[in-house]
Amino acid sequence: MDLLEPTRQAFALLFSGDRELWGIIWLSLWVSVAALALLAPLCVPLGFVVARIHFPGRRALVVAMQGFLSFPTVVVGLVLYLVLSRRGPLGAFELLFTPSAILIGYMVIALPILMVFTVAAVQGADSRIYETARCLGARPLRAMGTTLWEVRFAVTAGFVNAFGRVVSEVGCALLVGGNIAGLTRNIPTAIALETSKGEFAYGIALGFVLMVIAVGVNVALAWLQGEGGLE
Amino acid sequence: MSPLFKAEGIVKRFGERVLFDAASLELETGNGYVLIGPNGSGKTTLLRVLAGLDSAQEGKLVYRAREAAAAGPYPEPWRREIVYAHQQPYLFRTSLADNVEYGLARRGMVRERRAALAAEALAWAGLAARHGVPPHRLSGGEKHRAALARAKVLNPVLLLLDEPTANLDGEARAQVLELVRALITESHTVLIATHDPEIIRLAILTRLRVSAQRIEVAE
Amino acid sequence: MIKRIVFALATLLCAATAQAQTVRMATTTSTANTGLLDYLLPKFRSRTGITVQYVAVGTGAALKIGEQGDADVVLVHDRESEEKFVAAGFGVKRRDVMYNDFVIVGAPADPAQIRGMKDAAEALKRIRAAGSAFVSRGDRSGTHLRELQLWRAAGVEPKWGGYYLSIGQGMGTALIMAYEKRGYTLTDRGTYLAYLKKTDLQIMVEGDSRLNNPYSVIAINPSRHPRINHAGATRFIDWLTSDEGQRAIAGYKVGGAQLFFPSAK
Repeated sequence: MDLLEPTRQAFALLFSGDRELWGIIWLSLWVSVAALALLAPLCVPLGFVVARIHFPGRRALVVAMQGFLSFPTVVVGLVLYLVLSRRGPLGAFELLFTPSAILIGYMVIALPILMVFTVAAVQGADSRIYETARCLGARPLRAMGTTLWEVRFAVTAGFVNAFGRVVSEVGCALLVGGNIAGLTRNIPTAIALETSKGEFAYGIALGFVLMVIAVGVNVALAWLQGEGGLE
Repeated sequence: MSPLFKAEGIVKRFGERVLFDAASLELETGNGYVLIGPNGSGKTTLLRVLAGLDSAQEGKLVYRAREAAAAGPYPEPWRREIVYAHQQPYLFRTSLADNVEYGLARRGMVRERRAALAAEALAWAGLAARHGVPPHRLSGGEKHRAALARAKVLNPVLLLLDEPTANLDGEARAQVLELVRALITESHTVLIATHDPEIIRLAILTRLRVSAQRIEVAE
Repeated sequence: MIKRIVFALATLLCAATAQAQTVRMATTTSTANTGLLDYLLPKFRSRTGITVQYVAVGTGAALKIGEQGDADVVLVHDRESEEKFVAAGFGVKRRDVMYNDFVIVGAPADPAQIRGMKDAAEALKRIRAAGSAFVSRGDRSGTHLRELQLWRAAGVEPKWGGYYLSIGQGMGTALIMAYEKRGYTLTDRGTYLAYLKKTDLQIMVEGDSRLNNPYSVIAINPSRHPRINHAGATRFIDWLTSDEGQRAIAGYKVGGAQLFFPSAK
């Protein structure tokens, strides 16, 4: 099978600004970013609290979160499907087969990742950071912010990791999104579809974009860390 | 005149080990104090309790005639006036100026004024030339001086210094000593925990010794 | 690519077992989803000893697989595409096998009010006007191609708002989605009956002659792909169009209803 021709077509598609193609890319990007943006105000402070405050059941919680780190995304999709379908408890909201359903799925998948990375970052933080901030007159909330800023690279690594995981996952998005053209078709589901149809140019184009995104985000993080990350 | 700061009946335990048993001290306004005692006697711990970083099991703290339980929450307003510096000071990974301005920013001071005061403090500490250097690249002595500038710029009523010359010798130590002396004579109330003989020797400091789980004024 | 590997392995396995032959078939989701193949193929095997292995994709994809020589025979339902396929020399021996019909199904509430209409194209027009959800296979399957023909006949463009849901997946999935979205879809009667218990969709439009759905079987041209099992494919076609095969097709019932009607001449 000659792959040179589809590859050439793939790049032609990308640079021609094919609306459908870029619509798919846009959906992948905005849903992934939105999921993380919505989780951040919850997970980051919560991670800080879990890292620093001893409460009953804390250890169990941390262990559970670690356990869910590699939870199979297709099972997330399955459960979410059952919950959101008309026969399910949340069927009345008619969320199945909408971008919102994918967004919810991504949030479920990303939550343990953000929590684990933030907890680790804060636990690894020098205990003097919070104390110094407080001794200089910062309120507890502000001191928390200062601490998180000091460990921002470790926290950001969590976001990058979570982003990479959701932007490239296919099981959940396919199940709860339905791969509807122009609505819930994102990069991974489109690749699955187009390849099975023998439309290799499309699959290659999207695969290339996904690669660039996934690798690029990680490279950007490493670059930003610069000296800050490598002491 | 009543003392600026009092600690009464402080009991501090770490598990089985009793560090302080009904220890008390008094600090008068404008005076300088040095807290001495062997390693592991609890100097750092005591300072942390006075600074509200750790709590004791029992006891009372009195600042400007206001009382707080040493076992309970530290009153927030005290943190605006009582400043503590760690034995190994931590400088935020932002910039030198940001570090010194930090406390001022928490008080809501505007940027121009903050910057001006910070520049003054850095000059006082002899660090004006190190302006653009990332804080983690400063030498040990420079970090100590930066921490002192950071504390001084806040005009603290009570300054608690934990081993300000720890791990320093020679030129660096002398420079820090200069600043400590300046802080003492500028009529801040200062309590310094140290085993540096040059600080202990300073005549203007009242010596407080940690001994037998109590604190006594020493000669 | 994966199908190729699977087929290759399967063929090897069958070659290893004494005397058993294999025929590879590419067909549509409607013949698979209805359970027809699982009913017919064992009968063929007990008659001839030949095992038919199939992949069920849309008509368009099935023809593509045949074009690439990754199947020995195709069983599809779009006359226009079939004729192009044979004319291009990819297939030989096209024979009519059976037919069923398409129906437009929808949510019982019938928001577009098309229940009982006799003109399928007009019904689609009304669905569009009402802005009701309509699920399209979107995969160049026989069903999809028929749907596009109806839109053309109605003179309207089938793309609007968020209500035209083009999914690129099989008939079963389309029905479930139409159910979830309380909308409509075009389906073959057989798959609809097979999925009766899974959805609450009801037949809204039937009987329009444009909803007739004939199936054909085509053998892949051996001169294009010399290594295919043309003999096996021929035997399969002969059996399907024989009295015995045609009776078997008529005998297949779901819930007491006959799904496919023999049409071999």
